[in-house]
Amino acid sequence: MSDIQTSSALIPTARREGDSIVLCVRGEIDLHNSPEVRTELLGMLAKNQPKKFVLNLALVPYMDSSAVAVLVEARQKINKWGGKIYLTDLQPRVKGLLEIARLGTIFVLCKDEADALSK
Amino acid sequence: MPLRKPSSPSTSVPRVNLNVTSDPANLAPVRQSFEQFAIECGFDARAVGDIGLCINEAMANVTRHAYHGATDRPIEVAAEYANGALRITLRDWGTGENPAARLPAGHDPARPGGLGLICMRSLMDQVIYEPQPDGMRLTLIKKRAAG
Repeated sequence: MSDIQTSSALIPTARREGDSIVLCVRGEIDLHNSPEVRTELLGMLAKNQPKKFVLNLALVPYMDSSAVAVLVEARQKINKWGGKIYLTDLQPRVKGLLEIARLGTIFVLCKDEADALSK
Repeated sequence: MPLRKPSSPSTSVPRVNLNVTSDPANLAPVRQSFEQFAIECGFDARAVGDIGLCINEAMANVTRHAYHGATDRPIEVAAEYANGALRITLRDWGTGENPAARLPAGHDPARPGGLGLICMRSLMDQVIYEPQPDGMRLTLIKKRAAG
């Protein structure tokens, strides 16, 4: 396991575990700050090309459709090398939005990081 | 944050009215103001979240589409609660284009876009776009659950 440097307070921690990257997202994500999350996530994907991209959303109480669009774009990118995105620790409001967006059909939704890494 | 809260007129109908710019930095404070108003009107936590999200999405649509990303244009957001329903209106002075006309038939979760309007239609009881001579007025109506 090795830490990965991040440049956004919205992504306070990231680490590599084998061919996986596990990162935490923190804060309410809307159109104001989703471009910052996008830059960070897409940059991390391009640089590391992980097979598993695990996003721990325990500290994300709220996100809007612009954040969903970032996740969908990240999925399009990781699909290019056969990777998958795992979303863990969904908070109620985030879970509700993902259900409306039917993202459970294109992402792997997990209870927590351990669950994601065991799949 | 350029957020102005005009004094409420003397009336028994609870209402709130905010005039802000189209800067996305205003999304969170406006959302939170209306969530607080919804709480005071007696909506449960889930409905409060729905109302906040829909106001967020409606404002973001105005910035992105009606104002083509400009962050210094006016948006007026108002709400009043009467007869068990919250009536929210958003007024902009943009293109006047109805976002519903852009929504593709069927939502593909693998493609971004259109989700804001889908949220509004899913979570509100009514979503009404009314083109104005100089922009658009959107009305969102959310009824409070009995009990």
